[in-house]
Amino acid sequence: MRNVFFERLYELAREDPRIILILGDTGGFFCEKFIQKLKKQFINVGIAEQNLIGIAAGLAQAGKIPVVFNIVPFAALRCYEQIRIDLCCMNLSVAIAGVGAGFDYNILGATHHGLEDIAVMRGLPGMTVLSPSDDTMTKVMVDYCIKKDGPKYLRLDRTGMPLIYSKNHKFNIERGFHVLRRGKNICIISTGRMVITALRLSEVLSRHSINAGVIDLFRIKPIRESLLCHVLSRYKYIVTLEEHFITGGLGSAVLEVLSKNAQNARVLTFGIPDRFCRVYGDRAYLQKKNCLDLESLKRRILKETNLLYCSS
Amino acid sequence: MTKTKIAYLKNKALWVRQQTLKMACGAGEGHIASSFSCTEIMVCLYQGGVLNVDPKHPKWSERDRFILSKGQAALALYPILADMGFFSVNKLCTFAKNGSILGAHADDAVPGVDIHTGSLGHGLSIGCGLAFAARMDRKRYLTFVLLGDGECQEGSIWESAMFAGHHKLTNLIAIVDNNRLSASDHLDKYLSLKSLSKKFGSFGWKAVQVNGHSIPQILNVLKGVHNRKARKPLAIIANTVKGKGIRMIENRADWHYRVPVGKELESACKELGLRLDFINK
Repeated sequence: MRNVFFERLYELAREDPRIILILGDTGGFFCEKFIQKLKKQFINVGIAEQNLIGIAAGLAQAGKIPVVFNIVPFAALRCYEQIRIDLCCMNLSVAIAGVGAGFDYNILGATHHGLEDIAVMRGLPGMTVLSPSDDTMTKVMVDYCIKKDGPKYLRLDRTGMPLIYSKNHKFNIERGFHVLRRGKNICIISTGRMVITALRLSEVLSRHSINAGVIDLFRIKPIRESLLCHVLSRYKYIVTLEEHFITGGLGSAVLEVLSKNAQNARVLTFGIPDRFCRVYGDRAYLQKKNCLDLESLKRRILKETNLLYCSS
Repeated sequence: MTKTKIAYLKNKALWVRQQTLKMACGAGEGHIASSFSCTEIMVCLYQGGVLNVDPKHPKWSERDRFILSKGQAALALYPILADMGFFSVNKLCTFAKNGSILGAHADDAVPGVDIHTGSLGHGLSIGCGLAFAARMDRKRYLTFVLLGDGECQEGSIWESAMFAGHHKLTNLIAIVDNNRLSASDHLDKYLSLKSLSKKFGSFGWKAVQVNGHSIPQILNVLKGVHNRKARKPLAIIANTVKGKGIRMIENRADWHYRVPVGKELESACKELGLRLDFINK
């Protein structure tokens, strides 16, 4: 995703000199073409995240289209108050790209895990929160970030493979979600890189005669509530799946929507429990430690629902 | 600089203090002392004709930008903006009333206010962004940022100072209202900033000191600011007295967010030449 993000941003910035890429000392090796060919549209502010957002706000006030790139905790948390006041309160058009969703930066530890960003970003009035699930969608979202007014947060992974969508897929970002698979009784809603896990989980469940639907909720804020509720109305069980703390994330967002719309489905929220991850290993290992691997997810779903018995 | 102009601006400063006191007393709260310490600085910038702004066109693209980073001094900024014609002077009496756009901190919903402030340590970064954009676009406008010295305890100020110094943002002017007090105490008692001039100097700025209540000194240091030759951003350390203008509240931390009542109010009105019955008018 990171490479696609920079590649598309370069193409757009070449056509529009108002686009300014701002780094905080990270990501430079992945956007060398941008730095070399569009020198005047690039600023590395150094390891100074608060200043980074303030500068983006000033540039936006002066009519530029700033795009900020940093690792998730430093893009979303270290400078949270600057995002809150300088960008959201003044509704300035700045896009913040945070790379390293969930356990993407696995062995770098808790300091570099991106597990609270959805919660804090969607808590800000006026903020659009985007979470692409593959490279195809990432490219479209870069365009969306440049065109759409107001502050945007784009949650990225370093990689975006395998592709979920064909390269020519026509996205409707304003719709906010895409039904990847229609199911019966149960639907898995996921976002970002966990969407591929949701699709695989759906396949695993099908071996137990459970026909699970899959929805890719790629715009976490704002959510088209009535549209989503309409799509979900056919399901008895709804599973939310995210690589983020359960508190405040995708699951919370879905629950808020469902509770407001008096939906009676039972909701299971799968994500990271309320504790920091203090062990090291690869991403799959950390996911398994937090019961986000396919086997654990399948077992939890079978335990929490009686679908297996219904279908057998 | 004529004596008439100085006398004119002194009168403006007195009028601003009168309005500030009236607004705070009308609301029952407000940052009077913080506003009084930077009154002359803002009067010189606006009514002294330093800032190139057009009240009829508040969003004119070529205007100089002013950021009140110590947003709590909005109580002094608002009368100045009203006097300049950004909005009606009659609006001042709505300060902090239900539904008013005028609150205790500078709000960009108010005509003439570019940047929403109130949380300290934000303004200089935004100023860097505006100044950087001006340079990119070869625009001639300047960006002025008014900081509090207590505000300079924020680390973000020095992130921005480093950036401005490194990039030689000659179109950026920081003015520090150096009253040596914050909300709780004298800075030197609990977290001293030592020499702000040396600090800004070591970050690559040209730093100068003035008496922040002396209109001739302030105007003198700002004279020719649009045609500066120095290849450095400019930091003006304006030495001030918090609460300047009412002796009872001068240089006292406990007056950071207090409003005079009873005998205190009588005394304050006397010093500022106000009739005591203003509060009911």
